[in-house]
Amino acid sequence: MLKFKYNGGLKLENPYPVDAIDLIRIPLPDKVVLPMQQRIGNQAIPIVSVGERVLTGQIVATIDDQRCAPVHASISGTVVAIDEHVYAHKSGLKGLCVTIESDGKDEWVDTSIGCTEHYEACTANTIYNKIRVSGIVGMGGAGFPTHTKVRLAEGCHTLLVNATECEPGITCDAALMQAYPTKVIRGIEVLLHICQAERAIIAIEDDKQDAIAALNKFCNNENITIEVMPTKYTSGAEKLLLKSLLGIEVPTGKFASDVGVLCQNVATVVAMFDAVVENRPLISRAVTVAGSAVKESKNFQVRLGASYDYLLSFVDIVEGSHKISMNGLMMGIELDSTNYSVSKNTNCVFIDQLEESKPTKECIRCGLCNTVCPVDLLPQQLYWYSKSENIDKAIEYNLLDCIECNCCSYVCPSYIPLVDYYQYSKSLYKQQVKEKQQTESARERYEFRELRLERNKRERAEMMEAKKIALKEKMAKDKAHKATVEAALERVDAAKSAHGSQDDG
Amino acid sequence: MTVKLLNTNQIMRQVSYALALGVGAQVYFFGSSVLIQIFLACITGLITEALFLRLRGSEIKPEIADGSVVLTAILLAISIPSIAPWWIIVLGVSFAVIFGKQIFGGLGNNPFNPAMLGYAFLLISYPMQMTQWPADYISMGQAADVIFGLSNIDGLTGATSLDHVKTQLTMGIPIQELELNSISQLWINIGFLIGGIYLLLRRIILWQIPVSLLSGVVVMSTALYLVDSNQFASSLFHLVNGATMLAAFFIATDPVTASTTPSGRIIYGFLIGILIVIIRVFGGYPDAVAFAVLLLNITVPLIDFYTQPKVFGK
Repeated sequence: MLKFKYNGGLKLENPYPVDAIDLIRIPLPDKVVLPMQQRIGNQAIPIVSVGERVLTGQIVATIDDQRCAPVHASISGTVVAIDEHVYAHKSGLKGLCVTIESDGKDEWVDTSIGCTEHYEACTANTIYNKIRVSGIVGMGGAGFPTHTKVRLAEGCHTLLVNATECEPGITCDAALMQAYPTKVIRGIEVLLHICQAERAIIAIEDDKQDAIAALNKFCNNENITIEVMPTKYTSGAEKLLLKSLLGIEVPTGKFASDVGVLCQNVATVVAMFDAVVENRPLISRAVTVAGSAVKESKNFQVRLGASYDYLLSFVDIVEGSHKISMNGLMMGIELDSTNYSVSKNTNCVFIDQLEESKPTKECIRCGLCNTVCPVDLLPQQLYWYSKSENIDKAIEYNLLDCIECNCCSYVCPSYIPLVDYYQYSKSLYKQQVKEKQQTESARERYEFRELRLERNKRERAEMMEAKKIALKEKMAKDKAHKATVEAALERVDAAKSAHGSQDDG
Repeated sequence: MTVKLLNTNQIMRQVSYALALGVGAQVYFFGSSVLIQIFLACITGLITEALFLRLRGSEIKPEIADGSVVLTAILLAISIPSIAPWWIIVLGVSFAVIFGKQIFGGLGNNPFNPAMLGYAFLLISYPMQMTQWPADYISMGQAADVIFGLSNIDGLTGATSLDHVKTQLTMGIPIQELELNSISQLWINIGFLIGGIYLLLRRIILWQIPVSLLSGVVVMSTALYLVDSNQFASSLFHLVNGATMLAAFFIATDPVTASTTPSGRIIYGFLIGILIVIIRVFGGYPDAVAFAVLLLNITVPLIDFYTQPKVFGK
């Protein structure tokens, strides 16, 4: 059982309970819209053109950036558009997308070349590369390119597989583990091979008994242990998982890799298995569709780029006004419509019945937020300083350590959207830092200019001085010369006059 | 932690309900005069708050609906002598609402516990009216007459046990504690204790402040008792007399004005407990809750600053 604990957190019931979890494969969508921007890093650059025919698994966009992964065609068909679409993001910003219309054939690129079963004979570098070109990113929601993360953790001692499911209501990882337990185990073996860790731990919560049974049945590798943890919200956060399973507290500002642990989401592990052993890039994922307006929650294995509307056509939705959100109730975001497409880190789409909005009241400093904060912050003080835009003070109260898990907002009796305030402060802080850097560089430029002017002046003065000296020398020389000439002339004159007097005489 | 989450309005309401047992005990022993005070207090509180909200230009209905002003009014009404003249409670509640709360920006922004600020104001300004406690059960009609000045208060009042101890102490007479134990005080305190436990179980208040406050009372009174048991009352006496339980569960736990860090709460409660005994024993006024709480209210920013918890990963 759990050896170590962390403070705070919330015991939350699954808001959308289901009798049995199943991973349903749905038919190919007619059209996919693939976003080029993936979480952080640069936007991938399309390498196909409109009208071009593409095969499933073909790279349609890529960029040479360690924080970015290539994008693959998730169906075969024709590229019909490369244009801007609104991304499923809080900002509502538009970004470049490649739209492919299906030909219904699902014709694949050649998947026979690669590591296959003999990955053990491949070097870590070959496999990193394979992971990179397969477009794998963290599928738990972070979307960080996996090859970079694995490379950073080189020489780690433990591989931690996160199968906790980040939030209540999301069951896609459980569905995936139940459907492909062998892929999970073998994917872990691939990872153990490349990162050379001594052991792997699968962290799973006790509300997923079927998945636990499935993994237990197929796990016969003595280096892999399955740790069943009590279900509690925010246990899935990487650093908290490390604390509760290994007793390691990752210092603030550092990462799991800094303490010798590689943490991977279970869906990412499966994707890695597909990429390395089966030579199939990341073109589909499991997505939970649930919500109070959804009659029965389901998990779908769906091609990336399929629209939410398409996904929702496979569930029964209760009529009425809906609240649409993705990536969970706690840390996810609310969307204005279902006009978005599934991306690599979309783990769920929730359709809830619209509830009456709860009016925000003043903070009564009850301190309930302190008791649920998993990283032991004082949310109430942070709120106070964020509200008054006293950023320095908020930073002093460790604003930057906030993991934005929303536990505090969840328990707040005054319904204050605390995390929104923190995000706002964080952005103000970033701006401040940027401005400071700008002033700093402006100051440096100014100082350099002053220095340069000073130097120029000095150099000119030196030059003038040198010239002066040269001139003086020249003048002295001239004078000497003149003197010699004059002396010579005098001598000539003297000689002349002497001669003349002789003549006269 | 799977406790049903309450919102701010519900919290205020629950706290008010939790006072019922203690108030019930007051009614049982001294008659329903306290109910008249509560009624007057609530009316005054609501009107004052509404007027001030209007002056501040904020919306009246949602602000007043939070129930905080009613709670303040009730707390003050049950703290003062139940047969005090009507203008005492009207003045006290108005002062509490205006200078204790609204002037700082309303709910959540006040540094001092409004009810205790009102109490301290009344005690300092009208010490005579504020120390005339009913000696025995008084019927509703009789109480109304006294409160509204229709009949004389003489003959109805008596010294409380706390008064008695103080008098004995100043006169140098040894305390016969058994004689002092007042059954009514005991039951009123038990009433508030049960209400407080209810709040604890519902996680409306956290355990730190009540536990540390009562420990403070016990530690300080025991220390004095050990010095001279003839002069100083035992800790049991201090626990079940005066407003000890009310302070521990309902007044010091006011979240707005209390310390907010886990360890800060313990320091805050403990020091209030210590101060309650010190002021009761050595101070000029019979009970000490108001002054103890107000004094600690001032130190909250300091306590909070020095008791920040260690952040994960630091």
